[in-house]
Amino acid sequence: MTATSAAALSARTESAFATRRLIAPLWVGGLLILLAFLVLYPLSMLVFGALSDSNPVVDGFGTFRPALTHFKEVLVNENVHLAFFNALVACGGGTALAVLIGLFFSWIVVRTNTPFRRFIAGASMIPLFVPPLVAGVAWGILGSPKTGLLNIVLKWMNIDFRFDFYSMWGLIVVFGIYYAPYVYMFTSSALRNMDPSLEEASEVSGASAFTTLFTVTFPLIAPAILAGTLLSFVVMLGIYGVPAALGAPANISVLTTYIFKLTAWSPPLYNTAAAVAILLMIVTAILVWAQQRVLSGKSFATVAGKAFRPRSLNLGPWRWFTFGLALVYLFVVVVLPTLALVIAAFRRFLFFKDFDAIFDSKAYGLWHFQAVFDNPLTMLSIWNTLKVGVITAVLGGILAFAIGYTVNRTNVKGRRAIDLLATIPVAIPGLVIGVAYLWAWIGLPGGLYGTIWILALAFVARFMPDTVKALSTSFLQIHKELEEAAWISGRGILSTIFTIVLPLARPGVVASMTLLFVLAVRELGSSLFLYTSDSTVMAVLLLDYYEGGNTGKTAAFSLVQTAILGGLLGITSWLSRGAAQSAARTG
Amino acid sequence: MMKRRSMMAGIVGAAATWTLPAHAADEDFGGKDLIAAADKEGALTYYTANFAEVEQEVIKAFNKRFPKIKISMVRAPGGQLITRIKTEAAAGKLAADVVNHSDRGLMLELQDLFLDYTPPNAADYRPDALVHPKFWPGVTLGWCIAYNTQLVKNAPKTWMDLTKDEYKGKQIGQVVGPSGGTTWTRIMFERQVLGEDYWKKQAALGVTLYPSGAPTSDSLVRGEVSIAPLLYNIIYTKIVEGAPAEAIFAPEGVPIVPYADGIPKTSKSPNAAKLFMNWRLSKEGQAFQIEKLGNITSMKEPPMLPKGWDPKVIKVWVPEFKQFESLRDKWMDDWNKTYGYRQ
Repeated sequence: MTATSAAALSARTESAFATRRLIAPLWVGGLLILLAFLVLYPLSMLVFGALSDSNPVVDGFGTFRPALTHFKEVLVNENVHLAFFNALVACGGGTALAVLIGLFFSWIVVRTNTPFRRFIAGASMIPLFVPPLVAGVAWGILGSPKTGLLNIVLKWMNIDFRFDFYSMWGLIVVFGIYYAPYVYMFTSSALRNMDPSLEEASEVSGASAFTTLFTVTFPLIAPAILAGTLLSFVVMLGIYGVPAALGAPANISVLTTYIFKLTAWSPPLYNTAAAVAILLMIVTAILVWAQQRVLSGKSFATVAGKAFRPRSLNLGPWRWFTFGLALVYLFVVVVLPTLALVIAAFRRFLFFKDFDAIFDSKAYGLWHFQAVFDNPLTMLSIWNTLKVGVITAVLGGILAFAIGYTVNRTNVKGRRAIDLLATIPVAIPGLVIGVAYLWAWIGLPGGLYGTIWILALAFVARFMPDTVKALSTSFLQIHKELEEAAWISGRGILSTIFTIVLPLARPGVVASMTLLFVLAVRELGSSLFLYTSDSTVMAVLLLDYYEGGNTGKTAAFSLVQTAILGGLLGITSWLSRGAAQSAARTG
Repeated sequence: MMKRRSMMAGIVGAAATWTLPAHAADEDFGGKDLIAAADKEGALTYYTANFAEVEQEVIKAFNKRFPKIKISMVRAPGGQLITRIKTEAAAGKLAADVVNHSDRGLMLELQDLFLDYTPPNAADYRPDALVHPKFWPGVTLGWCIAYNTQLVKNAPKTWMDLTKDEYKGKQIGQVVGPSGGTTWTRIMFERQVLGEDYWKKQAALGVTLYPSGAPTSDSLVRGEVSIAPLLYNIIYTKIVEGAPAEAIFAPEGVPIVPYADGIPKTSKSPNAAKLFMNWRLSKEGQAFQIEKLGNITSMKEPPMLPKGWDPKVIKVWVPEFKQFESLRDKWMDDWNKTYGYRQ
């Protein structure tokens, strides 16, 4: 390089940095204002509610009289203590199981030569499509103590053992198997993007494959494991459907079922529910802080500026063992509950006098599907749900990319505040934040209330932490040197993002948008307050079937929902795979 | 609480198989002028805490009589619906033309939002089912004893039978007291009519508790429990469809839950709203709900009786409204302690 061209390059770089210095505060300010509207404003409604007895829209802020009554009530109530303890046990146990399963699956799918890996990868994501309420119902059908299908089979086999999923163990197992895909999504993406030369170096130095796995591979994807662990734990903390269906018959109360009771009480105790929700937020804040403490000061960049292919470990004959384990898991987590749902959806009534009654063909038919599709709300809700899902995925994906990039790839002032604001909604249970959105946004001008756009806005806000965290993992793994190389070559910020960062992060972006779509389709809590007769969505209708006590229609409608989600996710999985291959080539 | 959950299997098509009684006159529904004005408005929005599926059948039956009025429905569980009504009203965006709600106490608090309204057949209704002249029981539900016919050899015949030793060991399922206003009506009846020690005797048998009527009826049909007190409409349509279940009305009394329905002052289609209310409260509307949906009625002279209801033996029991409000917290605490339910 000549002195002239070096000087020109230096001038270009200096000019680029000057532009950045000018734009950065505007950019950060814009993001902060947006997040304040999406998160802080509804949150302030929640705090207002927790600290007073009034509804801010009905009574106005003028009536606000600060009081700690609700917090005091909650803190001294021993039933809240018990619900809190139960939630920690159920979600802690569930998370431990989810991490074990998720990590194992991502390893065998991405890093081994286990047969039929693509099939295993696709099938192991199925639990993610299933609404928690439906999962709870399905496992109730399978594992209720007297008439659960599994127990009918055991009785037929003259085995004395009986399953009882109406128990704490039932909750832990169902949480664990249904939230394993969260961990899988994070860790498989990290494993796929990891430079295998590090593992090769370990093995060349004499470490066994097993030692390498625990001393090199897993520590390198620690951010993904921690992100998956944290996310699955806090998501479990906010789940209502599973503990409602499985915990309630055993009188096991967790925080969400407790909050639901408060919101359903006569009169509904939203203010007390808001106080419980704020306690939940404090717990989550501690977890997020702990995660950042653990990760601070460590570099996890494993995608560098050279080409590689994900390394595949040859398991030899053991590959059939891992394949067998995968099949057992898939049987338990996919086949059994799906079978339960199929039986419930096609069978008129779920009473089985004995084992043979399961095979009585006269008891099966299309009644529940006919009833579901006779209902004019069904098609309307499907159409609305798809529209809201796509809008949420696109808007939320763009916003999450902007936040993720700002937080993880820049050093601008205010990025920590952005990160904090984007993380807050994860801790707030849907039912409570639902009413906060209603309080916050009903008065907005422009007729937003009553349209599907207000639902999409609520979903974007509510699921921002999930999307941003999923994307952050991808950002953390892209080495800074790639962007620096682009800047030195004269590219601007936007050009660098579109030609370097976005292609490399594309698997993560597609995965995040997919996750957002799935979460939006399933979301009930905030929908319940924001939908109107023209903007009803599937989750609301599903709750209606469930609350109507109609397991058959609930099962039929959830199969319809699962089929729609499965079809759409098949397409995005295909896109994501294409993206991963493209990213590998680009890298 | 107004959050009442019920089971409505197989009701789709109830309106389709129902034929309009020929003898009804326009005057029964408010007269020709009202019908013409309602037809001109052509639409209304209906807020309900009942199940969308059930209320759709009501809408279909109404549209058989009045096909020109399109009804859009918003359904939410009771507590959430009240919060929504309050918030929308405060923001000047209450879209409802008719509100249908099971919690009379909560609706009473909102009476300022509602129009003065009286149906043409107001005199036909029991005074004890009314809490305010603006609110009318378009829906009335009643408690029965349901059992699984495949599992129970000696079916219970009275409420007191549910304290017998032969039903011990988690055979009985119960909806928890704090589940809502409908359940509170039942447990108030149990203590006031069946005796102070009724709960204690029953709890001693070992009872499976459920958060609402829906999972209770589901468990009954599946055989997870054999016997359960249930709102009749929860189990009625399943019985009609052939589920292995039966229901009886006990001679000690049938606790009933009259709803409180009204028309908001902000209604944009007040004539259509009145016509819809009039029809639901008419003999025709009440008969439809009894025959097809398993409801009871708050009319002094029911237009028809549910199956197995002998008016010489079976009497309805309506809670005294002041006691319904004043005893609730204390008695609910007692119930929770007796049944070991952690609130």
